[in-house]
Amino acid sequence: MNDPHYVRLLMDIGSAEHTSVLRTLRDQIHERMEAMLPSLPVEQFYKQLNEAHDALVRRVIRLAEAETARLGMGSPPVPYAYLLFGSGGRKEQTLSSDQDSGIVYEDPVPGADRAAIEQYYQFLSGMVVEKLQEVGYPPCEGNVLSSNPQWCMAIGNWQNQMDGWLEDPEFEVVRYLLIIADGRVVAGDERLLERIKTRFMSDLLNKPLIARRMLENTMRHKVLLGVFGQLLKEQYGEESGSVDIKYGAYIPMVNAIRLLALQNAISETSTLERIEALYERKAIGGSERAVYRDTFRLFLQFRLMTMELMEDGMYTSNGKLAGRKLTKETKEQLKGGLRIGRKLQKHVEKQTLRKFR
Amino acid sequence: MVKKVSLTLGALLLLFPTMALAAPSTEMLDIGLNSLWVMLAAVLVILMQGGFILLEAGSTRMKNAGHVAGKTIFTFGLGSLIYWAIGYGFAFGGDGNLFIGLGDFFYNPPVLYEGEAGGLSSPIFFVFQLAFATISLTIAFGGFAERAKLSSYMIFTVVYIGIIYPIVAHWIWGGGWLAEDGAQDFAGSTVVHLSGAIAAMAATILLKPRIGKFNKDGSANDIAGHNQVYTALAVLLLWVGWFGFNAGSTVAVGDGFFGYVAFNTQLAAGAGAVAALLITWMVLGKADIVTMLNGALAGLVAITASCAFVEPWAAVVIGLIAGVLVFGSQKFFEKMKVDDPIFALSVHGAAGIWGTLANGFFATPELAETAGVGKAGLFYGGGAGQLWVQFESVVVCGAFVFVASFIVLAIIKAVIGFRVTEEQEIIGLDLSEHGTYGYPEQMKKAAQQNLNS
Repeated sequence: MNDPHYVRLLMDIGSAEHTSVLRTLRDQIHERMEAMLPSLPVEQFYKQLNEAHDALVRRVIRLAEAETARLGMGSPPVPYAYLLFGSGGRKEQTLSSDQDSGIVYEDPVPGADRAAIEQYYQFLSGMVVEKLQEVGYPPCEGNVLSSNPQWCMAIGNWQNQMDGWLEDPEFEVVRYLLIIADGRVVAGDERLLERIKTRFMSDLLNKPLIARRMLENTMRHKVLLGVFGQLLKEQYGEESGSVDIKYGAYIPMVNAIRLLALQNAISETSTLERIEALYERKAIGGSERAVYRDTFRLFLQFRLMTMELMEDGMYTSNGKLAGRKLTKETKEQLKGGLRIGRKLQKHVEKQTLRKFR
Repeated sequence: MVKKVSLTLGALLLLFPTMALAAPSTEMLDIGLNSLWVMLAAVLVILMQGGFILLEAGSTRMKNAGHVAGKTIFTFGLGSLIYWAIGYGFAFGGDGNLFIGLGDFFYNPPVLYEGEAGGLSSPIFFVFQLAFATISLTIAFGGFAERAKLSSYMIFTVVYIGIIYPIVAHWIWGGGWLAEDGAQDFAGSTVVHLSGAIAAMAATILLKPRIGKFNKDGSANDIAGHNQVYTALAVLLLWVGWFGFNAGSTVAVGDGFFGYVAFNTQLAAGAGAVAALLITWMVLGKADIVTMLNGALAGLVAITASCAFVEPWAAVVIGLIAGVLVFGSQKFFEKMKVDDPIFALSVHGAAGIWGTLANGFFATPELAETAGVGKAGLFYGGGAGQLWVQFESVVVCGAFVFVASFIVLAIIKAVIGFRVTEEQEIIGLDLSEHGTYGYPEQMKKAAQQNLNS
């Protein structure tokens, strides 16, 4: 953090007046991070990178607020929070993460013009999403975006929606709950999200049905390890021979740890923090903590090696590690990690079924 | 019961009207029943063309479906005429030598049965053999799929059914030199399946891969077939037809041996399907349906040579190995950048070789004697002698078919061109070769969208 060049970049982000400037700064950050990749410990790398992403998102929100005001829509009528979900929420964004976002705002006081307030946040969020695309963040394919009215609501509506979901936990709903579990406030009032989360945390622990559904959802992505202990690689296309690190290693572990965290009412969102919190609450032992931490760091590392692509000027990645990058040594490392991941999945499954029969 | 007997007698009377006055003798019944059984078997084998139509159409893309289906019927028709005119004579003509049969060209069979006891009607034998020849032809065309010119299908039909296939059939079944050596190929793992697959290989090598099958970096793309349900139904149709193929090859019903053959056939097919599904599951982490279907077929292809020579447990082993083999073979050809759209090389080639060799291991002395061909295999005290003969027949037949087919196809390629133009391939053979689509509504809609986009 005492790298003056880096501090300078963050300051420049904080004062940029246009998305094109932010885009240039982002490109510089990428250059810098890529240069640092071999020397920086992986946790440090993610920490710095996510600080930079956060700074970019915050600045974009400020710029969007200003422009909204310039267009005659006024300033934020009630306090609000801009939420990041997915890898952004977990502080695990790579150089090529997409937007998963939402907005929660304070309930309007009685007598206020609800429709106008709603309209304001609809407009603002649309602006933010658009500007973030200009800075190179592709929108979430599943439409978990602040510009989607379903993810941009007053706190009361959020809570009502949550109650509805908890009563009728179908597959899609459970997916939403898991998304919210990773939610984090990047800008605005922290307490708004807390109020949503406390609501469902307490309920969750008392509803075996939801716990079981969450387990099903969590276990959907299997660790890419075959019965002979071999890596399961892509068979066809330009990517053949590559390993899907995102869905075959990283996500299964994120999911398993998240489920353990939820069952222990842990509100941290980053996977490594969740592992720490699980240890503090004695949900896992010291050796497990060390093994999980090392394995997850390994997956984070591999994730940085996946193929970067540029699509329509936006940073994306297919989450796959090219076959040619797999040396004998990295292969063994990866397999070792995947074996841990598989064990963890089994452990989580057993524990959940025992607890919530 | 009375009804059944009178029906049977009625059928016999139609076949043998001169005998109508006399009460049917045991010999007459023998001949009649053999003929009926082989006729039924021939019908089953001919219905396998339906299986291949569904298999090929299902495994290829929509834009080629009408062509793929239609050309099968056309070449079956053309092949029938050619086999009648010359093919049958080269395979089974009585005046030949160890290399080739001669005689019976433009075959004019006796109207009524006039051979010895225990035989069967000659035209029925012809129809049965014709069905086999055209199945082999259709297998060969698997290597042509989605990019060969219609004219090349016509020319190759003439040469393959007229000369190439009959020579191999003569060597092994028509009293040729491999028959003298005691090569065991009961229903044609080598004669029908390997020959077809090798011709397909020559074709697919000369044609080169379909547009879009391989990337510049050498990786393969999956050009998925357009209808997996067709493919599955195809396998069922082929599986049922195979009872005609294998059990019918006893060409006699008297001792009920065809039942044993059918029994072994069923075991191997089942084992092939199971093994193929399990191996994909274990290796790829996902149970692959296409490979499982190919596994069932590979089990059938492999047991075709050995169904009359091995014990039930061996039939299961042969099928299991065929199922694993077909998966490995598919991967192998893909790695070699050989585009095998219908998997003919793996299903009929690799499994055909394995099935033929399997006799060299598993043939029992009793069954070799019952079938009257060759000796016991390695695991039954026969030593390596039979294995060597089996190996020899695979290598010699494979080499002959490859060289002959390659020459013919290379000439076609040089003189009139073998492959359609790139543009024709992209718009599809339905339109380029026939001017209409197999799926008019869908394809026209797609073409419209392309224009508008």
